[in-house]
Amino acid sequence: MAKRIYGVFDDEEALMHAIPLLKEKGVVCKDVQSPFPIHGIESLIGVPRTRISIASFLYGLTGTSFALWMTWYMMIYDWPINIGGKPNMMFYMNLPAFIPVTFELTVFCAAHGMAITFLLRSKLLPGVTAPIPHPRITDDKFILHVDVKDESKVNDVAALIKSEGASDVLLKSMQFS
Amino acid sequence: MDEDYLFAATQTHHTMMGRAIVKETTLEEFIKNPNAGNEPELLEIKAGKDIKKERTENVTLWTEHEIGNHHWGLSIDLNSCIGCGACVVACTAENNVSVVGKDEVRRSREMHWMRIDRYYSSDADPKEHQSGDNALMEIPSDMPKVVYQPVMCQHCNHAPCETVCPVIATSHSSEGLNQMTYNRCVGTRYCANNCPYKVRRFNWFQYSDNKDFDFNTNNDLGKMVLNPDVVVRSRGVMEKCSMCVQRIQEGKLNAKKEGRQVKEGEVNTACAQTCPTQAITFGDYNRKDSAINTMWKPEERSYHLLGELNVQPNVFYQTKVRNVEEVAEVHTKGAEKHS
Amino acid sequence: MSGNHEAVVRDPLILGKKTYHQMTEDICRPIEGKANKYWWISFIVAFVAMIWGMTCLAYTIGTGIGSWGANKTVGWAWDITNFVWWIGIGHAGTLISAILLLFRQRWRMSINRSAEAMTIFAVICAGLFPLFHTGRPWLDYWMLPLANQFGSLWVNFNSPLLWDVFAISTYFSVSLVFWYLGLLPDLATVRDRCVDPTKRFIYGIISFGWKGTARDWHRFEEVSLVLAGLSTPLVLSVHTIVSFDFATSIVPGWHTTIFPPYFVAGAIFSGFAMVLTLMIIARKVLGLQEYITLQHIELMNKIIILTGSIVGVAYTTEFFIAWYSGNGYEGYAFQNRAFGPYWWAYWSMMTCNVITPQLFWFKKIRTSIMATFIISIFVNIGMWFERFVIIVTSLHRDYLPSSWVMYSPTFIEVGIFVGTIGLFFVLFLTFSRLFPVIALAELKSILKKTGNQYKKKGIL
Repeated sequence: MAKRIYGVFDDEEALMHAIPLLKEKGVVCKDVQSPFPIHGIESLIGVPRTRISIASFLYGLTGTSFALWMTWYMMIYDWPINIGGKPNMMFYMNLPAFIPVTFELTVFCAAHGMAITFLLRSKLLPGVTAPIPHPRITDDKFILHVDVKDESKVNDVAALIKSEGASDVLLKSMQFS
Repeated sequence: MDEDYLFAATQTHHTMMGRAIVKETTLEEFIKNPNAGNEPELLEIKAGKDIKKERTENVTLWTEHEIGNHHWGLSIDLNSCIGCGACVVACTAENNVSVVGKDEVRRSREMHWMRIDRYYSSDADPKEHQSGDNALMEIPSDMPKVVYQPVMCQHCNHAPCETVCPVIATSHSSEGLNQMTYNRCVGTRYCANNCPYKVRRFNWFQYSDNKDFDFNTNNDLGKMVLNPDVVVRSRGVMEKCSMCVQRIQEGKLNAKKEGRQVKEGEVNTACAQTCPTQAITFGDYNRKDSAINTMWKPEERSYHLLGELNVQPNVFYQTKVRNVEEVAEVHTKGAEKHS
Repeated sequence: MSGNHEAVVRDPLILGKKTYHQMTEDICRPIEGKANKYWWISFIVAFVAMIWGMTCLAYTIGTGIGSWGANKTVGWAWDITNFVWWIGIGHAGTLISAILLLFRQRWRMSINRSAEAMTIFAVICAGLFPLFHTGRPWLDYWMLPLANQFGSLWVNFNSPLLWDVFAISTYFSVSLVFWYLGLLPDLATVRDRCVDPTKRFIYGIISFGWKGTARDWHRFEEVSLVLAGLSTPLVLSVHTIVSFDFATSIVPGWHTTIFPPYFVAGAIFSGFAMVLTLMIIARKVLGLQEYITLQHIELMNKIIILTGSIVGVAYTTEFFIAWYSGNGYEGYAFQNRAFGPYWWAYWSMMTCNVITPQLFWFKKIRTSIMATFIISIFVNIGMWFERFVIIVTSLHRDYLPSSWVMYSPTFIEVGIFVGTIGLFFVLFLTFSRLFPVIALAELKSILKKTGNQYKKKGIL
């Protein structure tokens, strides 16, 4: 069981500078917590490109298909009615009137599906307690998560992180999901 | 008497604003050309290689719905209408139309399913192919010519009101009727806005069994006047002329029981039945021999109100023909006598 | 990382000597401090107005829509005027956060949070009108695609009103999600600063346990970008569909193909005007002058010139086409707007919407806070008159002169309108005390690019 320690940085540029140097020295950088997105950090700590936009596209497709099926079922198949003489003998004849609803449902499903997926993937739900190693993590501190395999070397690694610009190193254990 | 009194009038604008709403012509013109005052609007249509001229109401982009068994309609002869209002009274009695009182009428909320429009001529009315001054056209002449026009729901086959209802509270029957489903109506009033004839009436309040509208529905005696074949509408729903659908239904059921077709003249609407000059004719377009069919066929005086919208009404009007020579003769003779 | 820095010729968007921590302090101050006198006075006034509006609404539901001024010819009047007005105002927020995000306009970051909140509150106010303008509001759910209880009668997908149901509900819920997702990191900031355990618990719940890991931020940014991409056509479609209510009808003055772009431009126009009205007050009251700078105001004013001019061109085009089409009814409808009994509404609209925003061509006026505030109110009034002109003057004199009538509002429907303004401000004032009014996390990410003390003017 590896021991996780947290390097506290005061500036995102210092953090970005430190990560490659630490990695060179064999320090395992697992994750970063920051008060705002740091562009370019993903490749440094190996966060894979998210596929959430593909998911969104699929949700959108579901919305489109559902809307087309629904309008066809309700207006053409289940209970066709002569409404203002509009031709509704075949789906394509009445289709122009169904475009707005189809569009809206596409956006509805794509947006909400993606938002829900994002919340579930990132385990963000009401009632979840956030693992916050440092109280100013959402203010102005940048936290580097480091895994140390050999527990006896914890202090050495901590000293190493400090020497690369961290203002502090926290050794407490946190439950990260 | 220096007190102001606000009249409760259902019509507050009195001229036709140069629009071809009541079409009219003179006897002289009519003898020369039966289409006078009612020249059909023709569109050039390409049929294969030929170009033919077609009446606008026969041109459509849509595949039409079939109107199979019966196709009900009304014909209104403006030449016969004397503007007496008997049809309005008959309609109100037949269809349990609410009496709403002066206050509501002052707010332009009368509930009549049909009305008689009355237009005065204006000195500023445009001559043919001219446009008039809008402000001046609003003022009627001192000695105006008067025309009457009964207007009820035109039961359009391409009804603008039906398309806009979000809940399908109004739809088209397979017999050409524009139906209103009171139970389904939520009262968006979009249909009334989109009706070019403005024949739809909204229940702004609960008009029956309501102390604020103490007319005929608050006591048992008054309620006995109501027609049991027609529902009393409640607050918040739209209503309009149904072409006396309860009478049509009764006629059809009687015919069905006896195992025969509905006979010509067996069914009649309240307005047509009551008209003293028989200006209104009710009938079935799908019967070759029906009066309404033979009336429409000559197409000389027949026209659809606001035909340029091509909403394809099932009600048509017939041009008013004035015998101005005779009138002029009488006038000059009268003038001679006086002098 | 100097490549990330902005061109030096651009003015800084964050003034003063700010650090990340200082920004947190500044933006959390209104939430953590006590409300001042002005806040309470405005809140009480708004609350009273809201209660008054609710009373009028209750009276309407109790007695009937007849308590309003509408009649057989003018079926829609104040109700739908207010609906379109509010929904138009509700277009700026999503426009700022979505379209300006796609265009990478950094200045949006100071205003997008409150503009989005404004959007949501405006849509709530707008939504009340179509819900309660029906004759039987308790049956409104029949407009949802549910089979009715007497058999499977469905809804009418041909009706623009039904498209509206879908458009408004999609717009509202997507805007809400967009806004709330953006709030999560900032709510977490408030949570982590809370001393009071109850407050900490509540902010902990509503911040969904945000922890700000690199994975979270990566997904967060992707989600924001895709939501912006989805919201951009959505925001354009919503007012397009609202305009379909009119454009697909046959009423002269409504039946116009120019309506969709014209309505969208008008919506952005009025939305930005309302954002300016609110922001000019909010930056002062909440002490955010260093984040919502004169530059922000000037940029918004430029958008107002653009959209105001589009609206002006649309008015002229409509008039021209009414004449050029040779359609007598259409021609009359437009002549009647300008010179008929409601001429005052038309000319109020023309003055407020076409003439006043043109003053922003002068840099002096465009950079004057007082002038901007006054003109933004003029634009709000003008846009209300625009909808009134379109709805009432088109309906009151349409095809058959026998049905021509006049319309005048009753104090009940005026009361409901006042009530929605009250509701809007109650919601906005509450928001300004409970949520960070500026997108803190986002703004921090541009501090080093556009913050005043990081800008090395003249040195490159």
